[in-house]
Amino acid sequence: MITFIVRRLLAMIPTLLLVSILTFIIIELPPGDFMTQLAANVGTSGSSMDQAAVENLQRQYGLDKPAVIRYLTWISGFPRGDFGYSLDWKAPVRDLIGGRLGMTLLLSIISLGIMWVVALPIGIYSATRQYSLGDNLLTLLGFLGLSVPEFVLALIYLFVGIFVFNISVMGLFSSEMESAAWSPAKVADMAKHLIPPAIILGVGGMAQLIRIMRGSLLEILGQQYITTARAKGLKESVVINKYAVRVAINPLISVMGMQLPNLINGAVVLGMVLALPTIGPLFVRALLSQDQYLAGTMLLFLSLMLMLGNLLADVALAWADPRIRLE
Amino acid sequence: MNRNKWMALLSVAVILSFVLSACGQAATPTAAPQPAATTAPAQPVATTAPAKPTEPPKPASKYTEAPMLAELSKAGKLPPVDQRVSEEPLLIKPIEEIGQYGGTWRRAWKGPADFHAYGRLNYEPILRWPRDPKDPILPGLAKKWEFSSDGKSLTLYFRKGLKWSDGQPWTVDDIIFWWEDIEQNKDLTNAPHAEWVVNGKPMTLKKVDDYTIQYNFDGPNGLVLRMLAFHGNQWPLNFERFGAFAPAHYLKQFHPKYNTAIKDYKQFNEKADDLNPERPAMTPWTVSQYKAGDAKLIASRNPYYWKVDEKGQQLPYIDTIELSLVENNDAVAAKALSCEIDMQFRSLDLKKFPLFKENEAKCGYRVFKWANAQGTALALWPNQSYAEDPVLRDILQNKDFRIALSYAIDRKKINSIAYLDQGVIRSEMVTPDSAFYVPEVENLYTDYDPKKAAEYLDKAGLKMGPDGKVRLRPDGKPLELTIETERTGADVDALQLIVETWNAVGVKTALKTMNRDAFWPRATGNQVQISVWSTDRGLEPFVDPIYIFPFDERSWMAPDYGIYYKTAGAKGIKPTGKLAEAQALFDQFKATVDPAKQLEIGKQLIKMSVEEVWTLQTVGMTPVPTVVKNNFRNVPEKYTADWIFMAPGNLDPSHFFFKK
Repeated sequence: MITFIVRRLLAMIPTLLLVSILTFIIIELPPGDFMTQLAANVGTSGSSMDQAAVENLQRQYGLDKPAVIRYLTWISGFPRGDFGYSLDWKAPVRDLIGGRLGMTLLLSIISLGIMWVVALPIGIYSATRQYSLGDNLLTLLGFLGLSVPEFVLALIYLFVGIFVFNISVMGLFSSEMESAAWSPAKVADMAKHLIPPAIILGVGGMAQLIRIMRGSLLEILGQQYITTARAKGLKESVVINKYAVRVAINPLISVMGMQLPNLINGAVVLGMVLALPTIGPLFVRALLSQDQYLAGTMLLFLSLMLMLGNLLADVALAWADPRIRLE
Repeated sequence: MNRNKWMALLSVAVILSFVLSACGQAATPTAAPQPAATTAPAQPVATTAPAKPTEPPKPASKYTEAPMLAELSKAGKLPPVDQRVSEEPLLIKPIEEIGQYGGTWRRAWKGPADFHAYGRLNYEPILRWPRDPKDPILPGLAKKWEFSSDGKSLTLYFRKGLKWSDGQPWTVDDIIFWWEDIEQNKDLTNAPHAEWVVNGKPMTLKKVDDYTIQYNFDGPNGLVLRMLAFHGNQWPLNFERFGAFAPAHYLKQFHPKYNTAIKDYKQFNEKADDLNPERPAMTPWTVSQYKAGDAKLIASRNPYYWKVDEKGQQLPYIDTIELSLVENNDAVAAKALSCEIDMQFRSLDLKKFPLFKENEAKCGYRVFKWANAQGTALALWPNQSYAEDPVLRDILQNKDFRIALSYAIDRKKINSIAYLDQGVIRSEMVTPDSAFYVPEVENLYTDYDPKKAAEYLDKAGLKMGPDGKVRLRPDGKPLELTIETERTGADVDALQLIVETWNAVGVKTALKTMNRDAFWPRATGNQVQISVWSTDRGLEPFVDPIYIFPFDERSWMAPDYGIYYKTAGAKGIKPTGKLAEAQALFDQFKATVDPAKQLEIGKQLIKMSVEEVWTLQTVGMTPVPTVVKNNFRNVPEKYTADWIFMAPGNLDPSHFFFKK
């Protein structure tokens, strides 16, 4: 098991390097750079920044060097924990993204947790009471959840929160809690702000999980060993929970690896809509202002998170399903 | 003399209290400053003390301060307030009433690129824009100034005893440091800003004493007072280098010239930034808690702020400013709608005005419709220095052609499509409350009149072609124009309408939209036939007169003529006719320090720019919604906001307050 994990981790390095090159190329593609952007912004706010001034700044911040050199300087900083410099924020990239990456991860994990906690029982319920009123109702809800994009849900939540319940829905804390010291009240406040977005984020995946769980369990329930178990007079709850669900859950674990990209993407979009301190808002802004290193580093970390997520899903599957051999 | 008398009285009071307490009476000692207390016993006035036993205890100091500072100063952590406000503090007259201390002013901002959000609240220049744009420029850090008789030399007299927010003295050395080591340092500023350069020669500074300095120019500098009120602000040393002084005692340690251990200017740039909490400032609030990417920027009162109200209370009234970081204007609006904003003027979109209004009662705020000092929300510039097609350039240079284009714009429809009918149809770059306003040209050629447009096109020699749809140019080719823009949303609909109405009079027009990145270099590079932008600076156009005549590459009525003007003929194309005349007029404007003469020339320029139709204006003066909590006072309901005036900086945010 350990050699498997180590091997997978090592295999990530070339993949990440490839990703970093691709990222850099994509960010290089649009014409101009941060300084030419700045020239337009400064120009509209009362002073003129001519070509010479732009070139001067490009020189100072090394933007005049060829792309290859800039890429190598950027990527060679990674082992030292130096991810480059954000021109927009005038701060090292490392200082900017730490907390936000953590928050994105936290939101995704909470969301994943909620997804599973909700989807499993519903899936089991639907499978065991196939075509009942409850099953049909939940199936309908599931299809709704699958088809409504999360940003729409977020907008509805915003509207309802502000205009109906009159509560603070934006950000991570209420304004009076934001600068307070950590306390149980503050944690509760954060939970209040974090759980609704986590649910919104998880709705799509939840619906998917319900469908998979229902299908998988239905298939298992028709198998002979279940009939045998029933014939032996085992209690129905034991038959379902101990023997059927145990096997039916495997596809869910494999799906988890595929759901992670969706969650992380969703967290970016949701962060924009609900002004959460995830990397979403920062990322979009960095792309718009051509803040190259910031955007590149975030893309790279997002890819890393994906790869780690997939690895975790693989390991979890191996652990849950004894039929799988890692070697 | 007054001071001595005070001291004597104080000593009397202190000794009296000693005597009384010695007699076992319950006497409260006055909060006398320490020096008085220690010198008191040495003075032989004990015998006179009983003579005035009913003398009430005198207030300890001339000025009073916020409770949070009073505590610190009592504990000896801060000098007494009288020493902190400088010897000659600036008296602020209130807009509504004298205020009370306390409170946190919450608002939203969009990060460091939105530096105006912070910078305009902390607008603290050497001189100051007045609240009423028709008034003359006011004293700021400098209490008075005088020009030499030839206008070449300006002497500024600063308030004695001014201190930076860290308690270090502010002196004219801070100006000299900025001029020599920032503004004239090629690594930090590419070239000194034009306003400090007359006849191609940068100014020289002469220190008279710590609080007096002389700016010497090669010729009269008619712009310098405006610039000291505008650029005089210290924000942002950022990439724009807008300062006119800098904290030398703090910044020298990061400057390679003074600290040889430092090799480049990266650290200096970071440390000089307005948002660096360590950097001392002269502003009412200084950043106390912020690092890049933080969800909140917190700025606390500057204990050394040098302004007082009529009751002698040191400003600012409000303890702290809290700027919450949000992504975009929609998020600002959401903050306002969930009542998390106390007062905000920026980033609130006009189209959400009804929404804010609905929330007035719920959140306990008022929504003001401040006027925007906006000549036009949507301006089109026929490029008269267009070089790629000389025939087309000649057409664009023809005044009759431009008049025809103006008559072929349906401004009323544009107003309702894009601006909720809240704009004003107009053709003048300055707004009615500007000193330079010329009422008679406010509505020149602004009617929608396709017939007149056709007449003027015929007059310009552009006859209708054989197909009856497209007019022909003198060289026989069809008349085709391209409008280029980076506008989005409703503005594009408005432009589409212009394309239709121009096509209808036989001017075949195409609209090309692109992002700002692509547009900006094309427009400033003289490659666009007709550029589109919105204009501001409608109160004081001559700080940066790009919309009035070809001033530099941003003057899209003729960018290459502007470059010619900016570089004094080194680059660009030499203008002719009225455009050249306008540039010469502005030279005269710059060369006089007589305000009356400047006013006359300025009005002449404004009038000329409208009569010659250098800019095709549509509708302007669209209002800006401003959200103000009911108990947030000293904010006027009627106000024209202009960014040149650092709105709302010229309203003295330091005297805004929360009424209890």
